[in-house]
Amino acid sequence: MDGSFDRRADGGDVSGTSIVVIDDDYAMGLSCRKILAKSGYAVEVFEDGTKGLEAVLSRRPDLVVVDLKMPGISGMDVISRVHAADPDMVMVVITGYPTIGSAVEAIKAGAFDFLPKPFTPDELRLVVTRALGQRRLLLQSHRLELERQMLKRRFMTFVSHQLKSPLVAIRQYMDVLLRLEGAEAAAGQREEWLSRSRARCDQLVHLIEDWLTLSRAEFSELGQRRDPLDLRKMLAEVVDACEPQAELRQVSLDLTLPDGGLTVGGEAGWVGVLFTNLVENAIKYNRTGGRVSVAARMDRGDVCVAVTDTGRGIPEECRSLVFEEFFRVSDHGGQAPSGTGLGLAITRKIVTQLGGTINLESEVGVGSTFTVRLPLLSPESASPAGSEPEEALG
Amino acid sequence: MSSVKTILIIDDDEDFQASIGAFLESEGYRVVRAGSGREGLAKLRECEPDAILLDIMMETMHEGYGVAFTIKHQPEYERFQDVPLIMLSSIRENPDQRFQRAEGIDLIRPDRYLAKPVDLDVLLATLAKALQRA
Repeated sequence: MDGSFDRRADGGDVSGTSIVVIDDDYAMGLSCRKILAKSGYAVEVFEDGTKGLEAVLSRRPDLVVVDLKMPGISGMDVISRVHAADPDMVMVVITGYPTIGSAVEAIKAGAFDFLPKPFTPDELRLVVTRALGQRRLLLQSHRLELERQMLKRRFMTFVSHQLKSPLVAIRQYMDVLLRLEGAEAAAGQREEWLSRSRARCDQLVHLIEDWLTLSRAEFSELGQRRDPLDLRKMLAEVVDACEPQAELRQVSLDLTLPDGGLTVGGEAGWVGVLFTNLVENAIKYNRTGGRVSVAARMDRGDVCVAVTDTGRGIPEECRSLVFEEFFRVSDHGGQAPSGTGLGLAITRKIVTQLGGTINLESEVGVGSTFTVRLPLLSPESASPAGSEPEEALG
Repeated sequence: MSSVKTILIIDDDEDFQASIGAFLESEGYRVVRAGSGREGLAKLRECEPDAILLDIMMETMHEGYGVAFTIKHQPEYERFQDVPLIMLSSIRENPDQRFQRAEGIDLIRPDRYLAKPVDLDVLLATLAKALQRA
């Protein structure tokens, strides 16, 4: 091996390369040790997150493999704390729910890679080999820059994949249709393939629109504008506009408003997008004959708007991830979800820009409730008069 | 031995499965379709294919690599180790470049890498060559 490798790992020789495994599942920890020790690494296993963390911080191994879900201190905590203490530490997360959301979360917190359970010994070895390669790189180059680029690159790869997939599907239908033109086999499928191609076009158009909306929500003046908005009127309009979709899906739609004024600060267009997204989702992911209830109430000086559906519900392990970009709850019913995976990311972005919060309660098989909490607008916090001519003319 | 060759397509895009599957059928191949890595491994044992088309990015970013790795290195799949494996991705970056710094690259290197959209003639030629060799 050439001398450009790190002095600590001594080129290709793994002897002296130390790995700490933290997993509350003792058997899992032992299997990891057995597999990795066979490859020549010095491996220590900890069942307890806190003890594991102490060991990592005092011994500074070359690699940490940590289970994300543990009682007591969680894997995510271990990662954040190790990362804060030593940003050069390379960590691999073992996760039970392999999603882009948890991967991004763990990587944001400082992990290098993740390994979805169940995994094979070879998958473990591959990830460990790559992570140790990363360790060498980190020790010899500009660490922060690399990490930032890797996350960005991974994300860009994912986004390009999402954008290209519909185009690839359409292009292959065209290729095959052109090639099989006139052939018996293709005749029966022609119409179906054209209609599928059209659906994939629409999917791409929606994805681009949503992506643009998300960027606009991030960079527009949405965070600053506090026009007084009559939420009673806005919610009634949103519900009205969604009525045809609800009818189409045979879902009943009702709105409950408290007495008195409900004025929040924001920009009308964005607040409209926020509630339209939630109501549309509640209709789309509902069952036939289901129900969507939109209910506003005052709570400790805030306005709370709850949108409740009678859909399939969201499994517990997905609840903290549904607001992540491109996260999709996989559909065990077999029918592919039709959304872009960005709707709730847009919704959360708008809510936080408005100084509010959004929260999800759900029960599998019963339904979900998304509750948006926005500060009630006090007269002095409204945008200065004159910024909107219509307001001044009243 | 039957003269009809079986191709296993592991890809989570139903439309890609539909078009490429129908095309290969029109070319006289028997096509078996799987929509995920897991399903792919199960169908592999069932259908004993003559060649495998494997997408890289499915539900997770590197799902295809996991499948390739399992086929090439897991003892339970030993008898499929020499089945020609063609990996597909819409990202024009073959695994050699993608993992150039990793030592594990030899473990997941496919027999052939094709970028999506796949050129139909290149696909046929690749399969013909792979099947000849097998």
